[in-house]
Amino acid sequence: MNALGAVFAREARLAWAGGGGAAGPAAFFLAAITLAPLAIGPAPDLLMAIGPGIMGFAALLSVLQSADRLFGDDHADGTAELYLLSGATPAWLVLAKVMGQAVATLWPLPVIGLLGALMYGVPVETALVGALALLAAIPALSLIAGFAGALAAGIRRSGLLIALIATPMMVPVLIFAAGAGRSAFEGDERAVANLLLTLAVSLGTTALTPFGIAGAIRSRLG
Amino acid sequence: MSSQTQIFPDMPALCPETLCVSGLSLARGELTLVRDFNLDLAPGEAVLMSGPNGTGKTSLLRAIAGFIRPEAGTIRIGEHPPTIAAAERLAWLGHADGLKPGESPRQALRFWAAMAGQPRKAILPLMRALAIESVIDRPAGRLSRGQQRRTALVRVALANRPIWLLDEPAGPLDGGGRARLADLVAWHRSRGGSVIAATHQILDWPDARRIDLGTHR
Repeated sequence: MNALGAVFAREARLAWAGGGGAAGPAAFFLAAITLAPLAIGPAPDLLMAIGPGIMGFAALLSVLQSADRLFGDDHADGTAELYLLSGATPAWLVLAKVMGQAVATLWPLPVIGLLGALMYGVPVETALVGALALLAAIPALSLIAGFAGALAAGIRRSGLLIALIATPMMVPVLIFAAGAGRSAFEGDERAVANLLLTLAVSLGTTALTPFGIAGAIRSRLG
Repeated sequence: MSSQTQIFPDMPALCPETLCVSGLSLARGELTLVRDFNLDLAPGEAVLMSGPNGTGKTSLLRAIAGFIRPEAGTIRIGEHPPTIAAAERLAWLGHADGLKPGESPRQALRFWAAMAGQPRKAILPLMRALAIESVIDRPAGRLSRGQQRRTALVRVALANRPIWLLDEPAGPLDGGGRARLADLVAWHRSRGGSVIAATHQILDWPDARRIDLGTHR
């Protein structure tokens, strides 16, 4: 586990080593939820109704924003080869890497989501459910983005390919996470169920996706 | 141990390992790169592979490391194929150095020492041996290509594994760097380690076996 702890810590450190680039997803998320009311209109009822959906949608796009670098940089600078020869189990290693990146760069999303929902006029309880749903969705979103990024590693201008691979895979977690906030706003008891389903998808993704990412990394080296 | 190798640190003993490549054929698409290649590497040996571009030097190293699957033939490291043995017995230096621009050599090497389960205390002596201790805290993005290569060579030595696979190890090195690389390889061989290097340059490694891959197509 020492090696995995080292990978986690390194990723969290490297995320901020190159300046403010790690703030990109949070800045993108903030911009998206701030600009949405300007495009949709300021009607409070409308914003309260669509707020949870906007949060989920903006979170998805924010996570995708840096997906090309997650494993693309390792492929280009030779780190991927070293990881495969490191002796650490590749699936554990990529899980530690993705989680290190997620903890370093995506932690502001639930906080900004909470404040954004309050800004939209959403009741505090609903905003809290929405923020919790975002928190629960982050592992799934990060790992799916990582999987797409690993498959596209080494391909120039891989953003389009990553979006095409990752977006359909993110649909379930987006539906459940946004559904949790929406159900809470409507006073529907399905809010907790949606929240738990979001968590379940995240846990399932956490259990399975690292094997796919490890396989993708190996196949891209061949 | 010679006086030159005394500048290197004491490290945990290596477990010397043999490498046997037999009847190996490698292809890229329709193009056959290597045909019926055989190699036996005993502990303490060094092999320098040369040949024109496109003759499969890098592909051969990558096959031994288990990154690519051969068309035919077998590779055995000790008793095992690379997929099982590589992680504990091979140290790899590829075209890229495995460095992150925002990370200093000290940070990077501490990380790789942790990954290899090796003590950190060997980092500074190895950096001294390769004459790059003065840049130990400089971000890798601000190092010269030669300094980056030397840092990667420290990482290879730090892993303390018996078989080194080096792809163009001296590419960006100056004369002094090539001499220190030769010392590093001599130190490794004196401990029972072995080395296979693909190179375009004339490297002065005593007793190294030379293979021209241009004759294996």
